[in-house]
Amino acid sequence: MRRIIRRRELVADDARYAGEEAGPNTRLVPPAAQFIALLRAGHAVAGGAAVLIGPTDEVEPLAPHLPLLKLIVVDFPRIGEGRGFSQARTLRQRYRYDGELRARGVLKRDQLFFLARCGFDSFDLDPSENLEAALGAFNDFSVAYQDGSEAVVQVRRRASSGGLA
Amino acid sequence: MYRYDQIDQTLVNERVAQFRDQTRRFLAGELSEDEFRPLRLRNGLYIQRFAPMLRVSIPYGLLSTTQLRMLAHIARTYDRNYGHFTTRQNIQYNWPALERVPDILADLASVEMHAIQTSGNCIRNITADHLAGVAPDEITDPRPYCEIIRQWAALHPEFSYLPRKFKIAVTASPADRAAVEIHDVGVRIKRGPDAEIGFEILAGGGLGRTPILGKLIRSFLPQADLLAYLEAILRVYNRYGRRDNIHKARIKILLRTLGAEEFTRQVEHEFEVGREFAPRLEQHEVERMRGFFAPPPYQRLEHSTPEIGSVSSGSPAYDAWLRYNTRHHKIPGYRVVFVSLKKHGEAPGDISAEQMDALAQLADRVSFGMVRATHDQNLVLADVPQSALAEVWRELDALGLATANIGTLTDMICCPGLDFCSLANAGSIDVAKQIHARFDDLDYLYDLGPIEIKMSGCMNACGHHHIGHIGILGVDKHGKEWYQITIGGSSTGPAALGEVIGPSVPKEQVSDTIARLLEVYVRERHGDDERFVDAVRRIGIEPFQERVYETNHSPA
Repeated sequence: MRRIIRRRELVADDARYAGEEAGPNTRLVPPAAQFIALLRAGHAVAGGAAVLIGPTDEVEPLAPHLPLLKLIVVDFPRIGEGRGFSQARTLRQRYRYDGELRARGVLKRDQLFFLARCGFDSFDLDPSENLEAALGAFNDFSVAYQDGSEAVVQVRRRASSGGLA
Repeated sequence: MYRYDQIDQTLVNERVAQFRDQTRRFLAGELSEDEFRPLRLRNGLYIQRFAPMLRVSIPYGLLSTTQLRMLAHIARTYDRNYGHFTTRQNIQYNWPALERVPDILADLASVEMHAIQTSGNCIRNITADHLAGVAPDEITDPRPYCEIIRQWAALHPEFSYLPRKFKIAVTASPADRAAVEIHDVGVRIKRGPDAEIGFEILAGGGLGRTPILGKLIRSFLPQADLLAYLEAILRVYNRYGRRDNIHKARIKILLRTLGAEEFTRQVEHEFEVGREFAPRLEQHEVERMRGFFAPPPYQRLEHSTPEIGSVSSGSPAYDAWLRYNTRHHKIPGYRVVFVSLKKHGEAPGDISAEQMDALAQLADRVSFGMVRATHDQNLVLADVPQSALAEVWRELDALGLATANIGTLTDMICCPGLDFCSLANAGSIDVAKQIHARFDDLDYLYDLGPIEIKMSGCMNACGHHHIGHIGILGVDKHGKEWYQITIGGSSTGPAALGEVIGPSVPKEQVSDTIARLLEVYVRERHGDDERFVDAVRRIGIEPFQERVYETNHSPA
């Protein structure tokens, strides 16, 4: 059984992706393009849906459908992939998406703090990662220079610095 | 200078702890080489030909003597007693042991220093005019803005995994001693119609294998929007910069592919829609930062009469040093002193622990305890009373740091090359030595006037060869070291990329080739004031090509 980190706790993964076998209590997370195509074709989609977005996907077409979504999974398929950080911030800030936002892929604990600050609140890390140890990475830094979109870390910022605070 | 508060210090300390744990996991086999690489690189740690190389950040080149002494201590304790200043105003150590790097970082943190983002695909050290705060021609001191950008860029959650490295330079002077046109983003401080501070923004400059000068994308950005606009540029780049080919991943390629107009449109759009959430730079924050860069307690002095360097002191060596290694200061009675790290026999930019310690002591005595690193790989004592110049010269001379060659042919920029760097195709340091040996007659160099030679051991262009008046690029030809020569490049006034004069030449012919270029220059020169690069601009490269490739000097 695959485990993920959700809001700083280890829980069983509730998602499966194209090509994976259905497990108990899992739901299929389709690619965002497929989801949008279904909507455009007139299919009714109940609330609480989930989508997967890849590095080259635009987030803008999802914007009108965000109220339907309970989970957005952002894929980081390679070491050093960084587009998802901007996708997350755009979803959280400009589009005010407040459902679950999950980072998935070739991610280690070393990216957790940055991911959390960009607004991710659940994490499907690389299978090689020690998840118990990874939980500590949310506390890698207790301070930061930038404003964040975080739900799961707390940082102290300089009070005197106006726009930077 | 900027001093850390509790937040800055905590952040740097926590980064040391994080890196210590990452190093431990790598050594314990919990992180693979591929996994550790991006983690160590973003902390300035390369695995080089013989040993790791650690690059330490010197924000906009500014160092206190306490920090300089720590750099000497690190050279002595963890390395082979020397360090190497780079073209990004940083310092590198070539021989640290991997397992001791966390201890080096802890030592650095104790003097408010770090190695954060000195390498890797992230926002690198912010560079600036090395004469900031003392140059007579600057609009305002750029360093408060540099520090603001540094803090914004440090461990930025969104922009720490970019397609490729990202370099920002800031200048506040028309002379542009920061070479902003060859940066991913260049910031030119200017004044608006009501004398308010704002910025001209250039984007998409860079050297490497596709040298391009930056394009103007915003002619006047209000001060409050500086960070918001940088976020917009970085977000467009982070989302659309290429990640499939490391050689096409810099922002300059994105800008070229989209065209400057479309790129600018996307940035402006992102700026508008993101503004509400982006940081706003308030005037009181600028004022707070400005406080850190207040002028030192200058004494009320008069400029020496007659003017420094205008009459002979009786010592030709001292006169030459005054003329070439010192510059005007905006405060009467003070002078800017360049400390030459370009002595014959030494690798350009190298300095020993003993030299660093002695220089720190000297700076404490005569320059308010501060030292600066230049992007030409020299150091600067920025605030020397004119009455102390003779004493400073004697001490620097005794230390081997007074070679009177600043701005001349032997003030070469040079990367570590094949001797240290695992990327290099060819050596740089021994070519620099060859050039030094060939052109050791200072009077001849003075007659030639200002000439910038810049040399890189490979097309990554760490030595900025494209913007050298004479550029030298090491190439590998069937396992042998050859050198491609360009002429006519310049970092300023206006910036230009050099043109390749022809087929590359073998190592032993590099200085001979330069001699032939100079021969043509001396023959064609219009008066004493026409610099080499001006002559190349006026007459083109053909006369130089003809001379270099005459049949009795066929480079095969």
